[in-house]
Amino acid sequence: MSSPSMLTKFESKSSRAKGIAFHPKRPWILVSLHSSTIQLWDYRMGTLIDRFEEHDGPVRGIDFHKTQPLFVSGGDDYKIKIWSYQSRRCLFTLNGHLDYVRTVFFHHELPWIVSSSDDQTIRIWNWQNRSLICTMTGHNHYTMCAQFHPKDDLIVSASLDQSVRVWDISGLRKKHSAPTSMTFEDQMARANANQADMFGNTDAVVKFVLEGHDRGVNWVAFHPTLPLIVSAGDDRLVKLWRMSETKAWEVDTCRGHFQNASACLFHPHQDLILSVGEDKTLRVWDLNKRTSVQSFKRENDRFWVIAAHPEINLFAAGHDNGVMVFKLERERPASSVYQNQLFYITKEKHVRSYDFAKNIESPSMLSLKKLGSPWVPPRTLSYNPAERAILVTSPADGGCYELISLPRDATGAVEPTDTKRGSGNSAVFVARNRFAVFTQSNQQIDIKDLTNSTTKTIKPPPGTVDIFFGGTGCLLLITAASVVLYDIQQKKHLAELAVNGVKYVVWSTDGLHAALLSKHNVTIVTKTLEQISTLHETIRIKSATWDDAGVLLYSTLNHVKYTLMNGDNGIVRTLEHTVYLVRVKGRNVYCLDRAAKPKVLQIDPTEYRFKLALVKRNYDEMLNIIKTSSLVGQSIIAYLQKKGYPEIALQFVQDPQTRFELAIECGNLEVAVEMAKQLDRPKLWQRLSTEALAHGNHQVVEMTYQKLRNFDKLSFLYLATGDQEKLKRMAKIAEHRGDMTARFQNALYLGDVQNRIEMFQELDLYPLAYMTAKSHGLEEQCQIILEASGLTEDQISLPTLGHPLSPPKPIVPTFKSNWPVKGTSSSVFERALMGQVEGLEDEAAPATNGYGDEEPEPDADAARNGGLDEAEEDEDVAGWDMGDDVDAEAESDFVNVESADAGAGSSEADMWARNSPVAADHVAAGSFETAMQLLNRQVGAVNFKPLESRFQEIYQASRTFLPANPSMPPLVNYVRRTVSETDSRKVLPIIPRDLESITAGELPAGKAAMVKNKLEESVQTFKKLLHLLLVNAVSSQQEVTDAKKVIKSAAQYALAISIELERRSLVKNSQDISSFSDDIKKRALELSAYFTIPELEPQHKALTLFAAMNFANRNKQHSSALGFANALIDRGSNAKFKESARKVKAACERNPSDATEIDFDTFADFDICAASYTPIYGGSPSTACPYDGTKYHAKYKGTVCRICEVAMVGAPASGLRLVG
Amino acid sequence: MDPYSAEGELVNIHNAFHAGQYDKVVSFDTSAFSSLNKLPAQILKLRAKLALGQFSEVLSEVKGQESIPDLAAVKALAQYSQEPWDSDEAVQAAQALAQKQGDNLTVQLLCGTVLANAGLNEEALALLAKHQGSLDAVALIVQIHLQQNRSDLAAKEAQRARKWAQDSLLVNLAESWVGLREGGEKYQQSFYVFEELAQAPATQAVHSLVGQAVAELHLGRLPEAEAALKQAIALNPKSPDVLANMIALTTILGQDTEELKSKLTEVQPKHQLLADLAAKSEAFEAARAKYSPKFEP
Repeated sequence: MSSPSMLTKFESKSSRAKGIAFHPKRPWILVSLHSSTIQLWDYRMGTLIDRFEEHDGPVRGIDFHKTQPLFVSGGDDYKIKIWSYQSRRCLFTLNGHLDYVRTVFFHHELPWIVSSSDDQTIRIWNWQNRSLICTMTGHNHYTMCAQFHPKDDLIVSASLDQSVRVWDISGLRKKHSAPTSMTFEDQMARANANQADMFGNTDAVVKFVLEGHDRGVNWVAFHPTLPLIVSAGDDRLVKLWRMSETKAWEVDTCRGHFQNASACLFHPHQDLILSVGEDKTLRVWDLNKRTSVQSFKRENDRFWVIAAHPEINLFAAGHDNGVMVFKLERERPASSVYQNQLFYITKEKHVRSYDFAKNIESPSMLSLKKLGSPWVPPRTLSYNPAERAILVTSPADGGCYELISLPRDATGAVEPTDTKRGSGNSAVFVARNRFAVFTQSNQQIDIKDLTNSTTKTIKPPPGTVDIFFGGTGCLLLITAASVVLYDIQQKKHLAELAVNGVKYVVWSTDGLHAALLSKHNVTIVTKTLEQISTLHETIRIKSATWDDAGVLLYSTLNHVKYTLMNGDNGIVRTLEHTVYLVRVKGRNVYCLDRAAKPKVLQIDPTEYRFKLALVKRNYDEMLNIIKTSSLVGQSIIAYLQKKGYPEIALQFVQDPQTRFELAIECGNLEVAVEMAKQLDRPKLWQRLSTEALAHGNHQVVEMTYQKLRNFDKLSFLYLATGDQEKLKRMAKIAEHRGDMTARFQNALYLGDVQNRIEMFQELDLYPLAYMTAKSHGLEEQCQIILEASGLTEDQISLPTLGHPLSPPKPIVPTFKSNWPVKGTSSSVFERALMGQVEGLEDEAAPATNGYGDEEPEPDADAARNGGLDEAEEDEDVAGWDMGDDVDAEAESDFVNVESADAGAGSSEADMWARNSPVAADHVAAGSFETAMQLLNRQVGAVNFKPLESRFQEIYQASRTFLPANPSMPPLVNYVRRTVSETDSRKVLPIIPRDLESITAGELPAGKAAMVKNKLEESVQTFKKLLHLLLVNAVSSQQEVTDAKKVIKSAAQYALAISIELERRSLVKNSQDISSFSDDIKKRALELSAYFTIPELEPQHKALTLFAAMNFANRNKQHSSALGFANALIDRGSNAKFKESARKVKAACERNPSDATEIDFDTFADFDICAASYTPIYGGSPSTACPYDGTKYHAKYKGTVCRICEVAMVGAPASGLRLVG
Repeated sequence: MDPYSAEGELVNIHNAFHAGQYDKVVSFDTSAFSSLNKLPAQILKLRAKLALGQFSEVLSEVKGQESIPDLAAVKALAQYSQEPWDSDEAVQAAQALAQKQGDNLTVQLLCGTVLANAGLNEEALALLAKHQGSLDAVALIVQIHLQQNRSDLAAKEAQRARKWAQDSLLVNLAESWVGLREGGEKYQQSFYVFEELAQAPATQAVHSLVGQAVAELHLGRLPEAEAALKQAIALNPKSPDVLANMIALTTILGQDTEELKSKLTEVQPKHQLLADLAAKSEAFEAARAKYSPKFEP
């Protein structure tokens, strides 16, 4: 028999492996080899961690300590060695055995080791005091194996003398336990025992000798919980033994190995036995039936040893050429997600569902016991919502599938009655009434209908190993090196993508993207199979699921991670146990664990939400995240900087040095200046001056030069900007400092000849002074100089004089304002932040003003570009966040009003829209479109006409007009409901007619009108109330609950009254309907009865019952009238009603029958359809208004609700939000 | 001596003007004023008339005197105010004046007003920036900043003025305007300023009463706001400012506003509120049209 479901997880190549031990916690395995080496492997990573080589000759026994960082080994050098894997050395050696040591095992709690040896003894050692504490003799051939019982004071041993022995070591435990816990008698007993020791073995006595093997016994093991023993021998048999307190006997024999059976054990969790033999096979047996369940054969390697992991479902077997680590079955539960439900198959092979929203696990719906073979779990589950059917595949019998209808209600693990089955490796639904079955052996895909007959056959590309759903009418065909998108209708390849070893495909909820998971890679593709990104993981990828925002969350063996479409990824949380993700919603990750139990993990999605917002330029979302979370960390800053968003990183950083660096990087001089001032270091001023110069921001340059006392540069700057005033001051300063060169420079810049001459004179440079004067035609001056130097004109010879140079006069007062720059670095995001916090420094604003119009066209385009991209990207995320739309509108608004004005900010109204997810706040902000979007999303609102006055009301309530300067328009101010709030990110508008006014006004008014029989008025009032509450805001969650109650109740009243109005119009308000046709009569009676169904307050309910009772009574519907009368007597509070009810009851009881048969069942529980006014009995298809909850027959889905007149019946809705 | 300072001749008429007591300004006895102050006083009177809506009267008064830049500016403003929706000529005149006579305070103020009204905020600000210590200009700058939704800049401007003009009426008013945008405790402070003006008989005017009412409204004190507005209505039942705020208040109180709206339409058909509501009504229709409700199954 083949073993389709045995999964090899790790294989090592080495010489013959004789001993194996799993680490109880870490993914480690120790392998002792025939070549004297002990290897320590990480089987998860597949790496050799360490080698220990101190034994001489083969090492046969090996064991990890349960808690300490220790392991023990025993070899053919007669030695038992205790090792520390932390210090990676042998701690000490226990000597005593006189021949090969076969096995060594630690005791589960005492500091003991049991060893078996070819010297025919079993020895117990204390590894703490490193002494031999007991030698057990009795076997008269090699003892091949000895193990402690997992709980009791027992040892079981196997020997080539063909016997298995069970030893009682309770005496030994008593002897070695702490003396404090000993009574006097115990001490006596112990003394006696010691004495007895001299004669024989009272510490360890043979309890049972099990004989049955015809040859030597190689291995023996206790069952972890039951009193069972399993042994394997050279007689090729695996024997099962049972023992009681007093005796032990052979239960049965597992026959199958055709060579010596070398080792065996019990499955730690399932009723299975595993055995290995020199016949190169590994066999799995059913513990209860002793029949072979599976077997696995290696081509060339004899098996020598097998071990089980104590906790998880892993085994290891040692053979001639190494070790293999494997599991017997897949642990991934077959599951499928549809909307809010998860369908999955439990370990008991029961189908269950789980509701994400309610967090409720259903009872079992079906039992799939008969699917495949008993020990093979189903592999996949595909769900068809239209037919409520599932398609399950199992790898048993070479692959098979079953198509089963789910029962309507989960009533327990019933066997399915109507199943269609067939063979195939994979089966998936591809359309409402079609599924595809893939058979690997003949490389064929059959498209079948729901009766299981083949309608089409497809030849997949050679080497196809699996198929997955590929979008409606399409399949994804997986081959070893590629994925093919195949159109079933057209029978052709649509696309192909080279991806290696894809194992799973996970579709995003919107069906636009899919993640292809292979062992170590995640590839994200579009629905047309275009690769978007790919990433590599060193740890195995187990599962993945999509966030609604387009973030893929995936799980590896030990982490939940995320990846964005652009490939950015990171860790969301660590996992203690492997889980399979099925759904993410907000902070919850839903998953199935290996026991197929649904679990909810809490995650913090902030990091990836933030990154996503960054990628999508959703600045409002980012702002929101920054505001509400403590995201700030070095990693985020580094990330932002790396991704080219220094201006955003800037918002997070407090450290002035970093802020300065970031500010320089993003050209935010303002912040840079601020930080430089704080730090005040020449180096920073230097850098700032360079940067500012590049910006043409000479005011900052001027300041930095001043700080740096860089006079020359300062002078030159003034020259360049034409600031004569300051240049003069510089000249004075130079004079002050006595710095002649600087003075000369300044004089030159200023064209101040006089000063230059004076300076030369002061320096006694008369010739130069003379020349200067002469060249400028200052004859008088020349004369004075000549006199001073005692010379005459003809005594000196002059070179030819050129024209005097004078510096050009500034035409444009550049110094007055900075070079105009576009505010490119101030992103929308930054502006939003800055605008709210402080506002841009006003210095820059007037500077840009004058030049605004002259700004070159291309630049303006470039500036817009950013905005355009943004808009495009925003479309992608439409339906994700409202803030952006508002932004766009605000921007266009302000362009209309103030043409391209860089100085304007956003109005408070815009803040409202940004600050709130409540539709009413968007209305107040004047952003009707987003308000409608919100309502549409929250309650499926589509018909907004009835809300017009409400919109107008809210809008006009939130603005006041303050007259300010004469002849100027009044200043518009914005009325807030957050009166004491000044943080512009928290202000919210006033919303007129709050919940309180409604519960005190409309609600009682509507009820009063009903009581007064003003039904038209009443129903209008209730509808008005529904409209008022639909666009409203409240302050607390408690109020939300209250509001929802009011909505529900108003809807029920409106429904009840509508029914009654319908009846009245039908019978033209008459009480006696005998004159009408039977149809009308019947209908009128029905309506009268339905009037009592909606949930009204008791006193109003009594009113409806009273009306219905009288109407029925008058029209000879005695049975119905009786029913209403009874209800009145039961529930009514009004004495008058009760009185007449009793009378009617008395009258009707005489002849309790109805004249006309009507569709009204007093005893059934049903709702009334608000469109047709007919009953909706439980179980029949119905739909509801997402806003007010009114019920409708399914056919009214998609129409506008008759009660609220706004929402679309049956529309998907996230629920009304009334609080931010 | 600064004619507007506490001892100056112009202080009272100027204060009355800014408190919105335009009738008082118009009838102010300026005969005893020094010749130097005659012109500024005349300008104030003309501006008061403009504020009262007596455009043609003002136009005829300044006719033929356009050579005086101050009066030319008055003319520009008068022309503009008369027909703000068809005012290219007036705006151009104001722009020309601003260029030629940019140093004249009256030109700065009145042309600045025209430009700001015409939406040329940056031009207006550039013109007003030339002022030399005029609180009128500061007040106008503050208002323009507020209209641009830059209350930060407005606050700075007011703060700067506070340093040299201390407790002047205009500074107080300007700060109050800013305060009504900033909110929180500032609401109360603004309220005090308006209340002080509105409740002193010497300074009471619709202008300040509306200010008081608006501040109360923002503070959520609806009955008080209503009382202040009623007081204002008693003074002038046709003030559009009063009506517009009355509409907001009535809406908040959950009552019908149709009557008030039709009244407002009567007195000022082009009032900002009405224009705004009309625009929003269109926006509503446009947004609504994106959804196609189905009424029958």
